[in-house]
Amino acid sequence: MEDFLELIVSVGEAGSIYALVALAYLLVLRPSGIINFAVGEWAMMGGFAAVSLITWLKLPYIIGLPLSIMCIGAIAWVTGLVVVNPLIKRNASPMSKVLVLLGMLIVYRETSASLYGYDPLFVPMPFGFGRVEVGPFAGSSQSFFIISVVAVVFLLAWYFFERTIWGKAFEGVAINRQAAMLMGINLKIVGMSSFISAGMIAGLAGVLQAPLTSAHFLMGLPLAIKGFTALVIGGVGRVEGALLGGFLLALLEKLTIRYIDIPSGYALGVPLLLMIVFLLFRPNGIFQNKEAK
Amino acid sequence: MQQRLLWTIIIVFLASLCFVLGGYWADIYRKMLLVITLCVGFNFLFGVAGQIAFSHIAFYGIGAYSVVIFSSILGWPLPLAIFGAIALCGVIAIIVAFPASRLEGFYLALATLAFAQLFNVVIVQGGDVTGGPQGLSGFGQQDYFGFSFTDQSYTLVIVVLFLGTLLIITRLENSWFGRACRAVHDSPEAAEAMGVDVLFIKVAAFTITSVLAGVAGVAYAFIDNYVNPLVFSLEPMFQLLFMIVLGGIGRTSGAIIGAIVIFLAPEIFEEWVGRHYILGVGVLVVLSILLLPKGVVELFDRLFKTDKLMRKGQK
Amino acid sequence: MNNTLKFSRNLILAMGLLLAAGTAQAADPIKIGVITDRVGNSAAWAKPIEQGMEMAVNEINAAGGVLGRQLKLRYESDQSKPDVSATKARKLIGENVAAILSITTSPATQQAQTVTAKAKIVHMTPANSADYLTKKLDNPYFFQMGPLGSTQIRTLLAYNKKKNFKRVALVKDNSNLGSYLGKVFKTNLEKSGAKVVVEQTVEIGATDAIAQLQKVRAAKPDAIYHSGIVVSSMAVFFKAYHQLGLKQPILGSFNLSVPKYLEVIPGMMDGVVFIDAMDPSKPEAAKFMAKYKKAYGSVPFSLPAYGYDGVKVLADAIKKAGSTDSDKIRAAMATTKDWVGVLGAKGQVVDFSKSRAGFSVDGAVVRRIENNTHGSIVHSGTK
Repeated sequence: MEDFLELIVSVGEAGSIYALVALAYLLVLRPSGIINFAVGEWAMMGGFAAVSLITWLKLPYIIGLPLSIMCIGAIAWVTGLVVVNPLIKRNASPMSKVLVLLGMLIVYRETSASLYGYDPLFVPMPFGFGRVEVGPFAGSSQSFFIISVVAVVFLLAWYFFERTIWGKAFEGVAINRQAAMLMGINLKIVGMSSFISAGMIAGLAGVLQAPLTSAHFLMGLPLAIKGFTALVIGGVGRVEGALLGGFLLALLEKLTIRYIDIPSGYALGVPLLLMIVFLLFRPNGIFQNKEAK
Repeated sequence: MQQRLLWTIIIVFLASLCFVLGGYWADIYRKMLLVITLCVGFNFLFGVAGQIAFSHIAFYGIGAYSVVIFSSILGWPLPLAIFGAIALCGVIAIIVAFPASRLEGFYLALATLAFAQLFNVVIVQGGDVTGGPQGLSGFGQQDYFGFSFTDQSYTLVIVVLFLGTLLIITRLENSWFGRACRAVHDSPEAAEAMGVDVLFIKVAAFTITSVLAGVAGVAYAFIDNYVNPLVFSLEPMFQLLFMIVLGGIGRTSGAIIGAIVIFLAPEIFEEWVGRHYILGVGVLVVLSILLLPKGVVELFDRLFKTDKLMRKGQK
Repeated sequence: MNNTLKFSRNLILAMGLLLAAGTAQAADPIKIGVITDRVGNSAAWAKPIEQGMEMAVNEINAAGGVLGRQLKLRYESDQSKPDVSATKARKLIGENVAAILSITTSPATQQAQTVTAKAKIVHMTPANSADYLTKKLDNPYFFQMGPLGSTQIRTLLAYNKKKNFKRVALVKDNSNLGSYLGKVFKTNLEKSGAKVVVEQTVEIGATDAIAQLQKVRAAKPDAIYHSGIVVSSMAVFFKAYHQLGLKQPILGSFNLSVPKYLEVIPGMMDGVVFIDAMDPSKPEAAKFMAKYKKAYGSVPFSLPAYGYDGVKVLADAIKKAGSTDSDKIRAAMATTKDWVGVLGAKGQVVDFSKSRAGFSVDGAVVRRIENNTHGSIVHSGTK
């Protein structure tokens, strides 16, 4: 039982990171219908930003973390402006926007590798490494840090979408662009803020993960795939879906590894298999979409 | 008539290269032709039929691995092993195609992505049957009636494979089947309303292209007589995607151009810019989408009328 | 101009040309092809090996070269992709290199080997550890200098003989080398009478390894053998190990001889023992380390030494062969024995006469990580 409780914390930590990436997908997907596979690379760059600011410049986390994610937000904003906006302006197909971001994936990765090299780099943890017990649960200090930060993020996101006028504007654009525009919602601002916030969220995922695994130019792709999986499981319509999808995916992975007795190599395949089954029978995710599609 | 002449020239040219190129360039030629073959099929599935299927590379792998397993582990004679490999691809493709037909867009992408990853897991865990992480090597091409392929004649085999695939794909593209695929891509409901059997079209498109990928896989196995899971992983799959994006989605000539450009990029640019050529490819893809929305093939269209090239019976 | 003058002028001209041609011939460098990785998964690992190779080449050339000719390395990058490696091998063969060195991954070397076998050109890997490279293809032109996976696990087992670990855990990652070494470890562990009670894989990209290590803890093994290589998976493995309060001794492969891990998880690996091919107290190794420090400013670990020894062995073989003819070099390599390099335990030699995998079965050492550095040698060989 003790094992299970400690495992739950591990699920919470991994699920939080997947959920952040899923949220980053969601923030761009909802208002503009674009699937941005480069979110993984944004997370990677967040990790490298942490290397520059926190490892090398030795800034304290309280400054380094926000600064890192703002850098990625800025990169995301520039990308949106220079690469995606022209496509939106000339009414290009949704696929072309997805594909141009795939091209940017390569650009981000190779540029980062040129700047930071091919070696994995160290990022310190804000609260050091240690086993912490919170009630019946036990985990590393970093795990609890991640879970708390992500909980706050999702609380803010939920509040934003459900309770503020801006959030409603986002939803409005997601449901019907034309109508939203006619109602006076500034599509450009919505578009730009969706990119900036997605960049910051993805960057945050990287800054949170890098102390655990190191910052490395190849760390983006596994994150992008896991985050996408979490998004589809949770349902692409809602913020809560991203969170739930992240946790479900992490739960699936960890429970399989811990409790199912198959050769460990195959344990990697179980979430894949279950995901395929899930897609076939419940393709809209755990939560149904908000709109009647 | 002019088209026939042009095609004859192209075929003769491609075939004669087999006997002119040696060693290194012949190897580049063979591997490039296989990549173009894969690309053309993938382009039909992705661009024409509109199915975002990352399983393409897995079928390449199923073809390669099964022909090796059938011929060198089970000891079947080569022709039977080849037939078996292709048949196996067909069976698996149909089994996957039916559930896949129920999924759209990124759900299909995710499901086929998972399938490709599963294939990789199975191969790596396969123990002695698949060779696991070390792959299968040490098998040779069997002598068949005392005839075995030399380097050059094998290149010819691959040229024939490429042309065969090209023929099948362009014929399909320009037939009622191609039109039906496009209709289903644009709007399944409308297509259904017009009397198209949507399920059949989807399953057929998936199966045909996957089998073609499998056949290419069979050819790959004997290029270096070595198969390894790394060759059939996600990275080469994404490379195929970039190729058709760069070249022009939905256009066979686009797939060919994109494949050639990205495949040859390391060979040509590594000398000058070293490892930064990958960055160059990324920038190229981005620029091509921004400036040439129909793909690089748009440039070629204006110069060489490549859009007419692939269409039969057009003046 | 009268005839005698004309004749003399022509004679002098002809002699001059001949002399120039002869000198050009002598100044013609011996090209050694190197298949490396500049962009892919092995880029971080290949670079130090290249540095070691450069050092060896500079040394050899400063001393007059080989057979009066300078050595030159001709690099091609295979992106760690097996099919590209085979293509690059063909390219190098087309440029008439005297031999080819492969310094990326074992599968890439294997696919390149299918090409070099047919072309009958000497092909060597200084650092790959896969047993199958010399077993699967009957290719007399291929030589391997890296410590075989089987040698590594047997050395670890010999180190443990007194401790008698009967129930062991095996942890790896899902990289190609990690999985392969895991297989080799498992086979040899079971052959030695130990029981692998639990086997776990830490996926590349995993953010923690708690589930895996809980399973390991539940099986109560006496020791944990680790065959992985990927830095991120290693990092989360050690974090979970400490977090769960595990105390079992950890034994690693030669991958741990690379100090990268110590930078990323400082202080977490103390007490871990691993396989190394380098014993710093061996005179050849100490000399090498001093030279490297002078050239590059830092103390080298094993990887540059692989490159260094690889080039030196090849150069010696070419010298012995007296020519750059492939068959002669092959014969010279195949009769190379009692060759002492930087790598290898004290008293051990490289011997290709009995097996094309020349690293001595007793050539590996076991080192312990102490105070976050590679510490003392605690065992040597398989006895």
